[in-house]
Amino acid sequence: MERRVVITAGAAITPIGHSKNEIIDSLVNGISGVKKMREDDLLSPHIHSKVFGTVDYAIDYDFERRYRKTMGPVAYYACQVAKEVIEMAGLDSDFISSGRLGVSFGSTHGSPTVQRQMYETFSGGFRPGHSPVSAVDYLRSMVHTTAVNITRMFRITGRVISSSTACTTSSQSIGFGYESIKYGMQDAMICGGSDEYDTTTVAVFDNLLACSTRFNDTPHLTPRPFDASRDGLVVGEGGGAVLLEEFEFAKKRGANILAEIIGFSCNNNGGDLILPDINGITQTILLGLKDAGIVADEVDFVSAHATGTKMGDIIEAQAIRTVYGDSPYVTGLKSYVGHTMGSCGAIETIIILYMMEHGFIAPTLNLHEIDEKCSMIRHTMKLHESDIRIAAIQNFAFGGVNTSLIIKKFDD
Amino acid sequence: MTRQEIQIEILKILKEEFEIENPGMDDDLREKYHFDSIDAIQLLIEIEDLLESELTMEEKTSAMDIRTINDICDYVESLVKERP
Repeated sequence: MERRVVITAGAAITPIGHSKNEIIDSLVNGISGVKKMREDDLLSPHIHSKVFGTVDYAIDYDFERRYRKTMGPVAYYACQVAKEVIEMAGLDSDFISSGRLGVSFGSTHGSPTVQRQMYETFSGGFRPGHSPVSAVDYLRSMVHTTAVNITRMFRITGRVISSSTACTTSSQSIGFGYESIKYGMQDAMICGGSDEYDTTTVAVFDNLLACSTRFNDTPHLTPRPFDASRDGLVVGEGGGAVLLEEFEFAKKRGANILAEIIGFSCNNNGGDLILPDINGITQTILLGLKDAGIVADEVDFVSAHATGTKMGDIIEAQAIRTVYGDSPYVTGLKSYVGHTMGSCGAIETIIILYMMEHGFIAPTLNLHEIDEKCSMIRHTMKLHESDIRIAAIQNFAFGGVNTSLIIKKFDD
Repeated sequence: MTRQEIQIEILKILKEEFEIENPGMDDDLREKYHFDSIDAIQLLIEIEDLLESELTMEEKTSAMDIRTINDICDYVESLVKERP
């Protein structure tokens, strides 16, 4: 049994805004969410890169203490965007707790803020016979803290999937949610990912010489995907959630259908855990098209993973050229928000939903002089008024994991 | 520590740490305030701080049946009596 899967709500917390209007305004006006990295008393003094995709505005959380007590910052982002999609979609409480709604939500590694607090207690001294780790520390820090805090807050009783594959976390979340509905296991899934402010991740990429360092005094000018003067990625924070529903179910209840997911693929490079792999990436793009049952020419927009690293952008451009030629517009949306890690796939999907709805394609920010090694594809250099009919969202992660999601503007 | 002093301290802890405001002394904390096993463990830590004394495993286990603030006060009162 294969069923159609549609997206009926989306919400994101991003460095360029929280509401749809704020995010669209930043995209249309070329406003970056990359700021100077906040200092912490741990790693920031030792990191060469001093920029971060920053959520620097207040969010009005309205969570009762009974829910807050098991949440670290990453779960706040997760529960907030989940709350917004549930409200937006108008799901009733009987369905939410029916077992037919599941959650597919993850983060890179739970809450590093809480993990750090736990480690600090080890060096801070504690009472004999009294464990310095409290009962809630694990619940607040664990890898699947986002998914289960969502189930707890909204009394969701369906399946739980909690991907934790770094940069492909939330594209996997959406893909696995799509498959759960497509093959009849669930009627709806809340899917997405979030990651909180964390310098550990920055330090990892910084040590690999993969972080941007030349724009520390002008954060808005980096990252620069596909640009000749790009110098690396910029880590960011945020969260994104979409609600997926089985098409007939959504139609029957009169849901506002935003788009249809028509394909998903996920594979592994089968080797190196860090370097991007042209064969693995090309293969996952082809598998996505095959799952969607379309040919490459039908895709008119590609959201590239495009982190702004020297090697990664070239290999991705080569793979896009191999499969799609120079037909679809290609944009690197991380140019606006940085690399929001476990949430990037969901945030990029939501931005595409906004662009589909409002009929425009945002350009890659800071792309002024295309690197000749990336020049064989159709870069979006300026804002276009254009209807996206079918879009591909590509993400690639440490560990050699690749994903491709194919979404289509809704057409009954 | 008198019963009245214990009650004042427990109500203060419940307000500051658990956001429980103006509770009834015989309210079922689980039913009315969603006070669960995680909260019970945290309350025991607060009681250890209050008494400046470590609780034994047996003492902690015996607290798991507590349901009301009067139960908590009874429990703390018995702990106080057992300590020099």
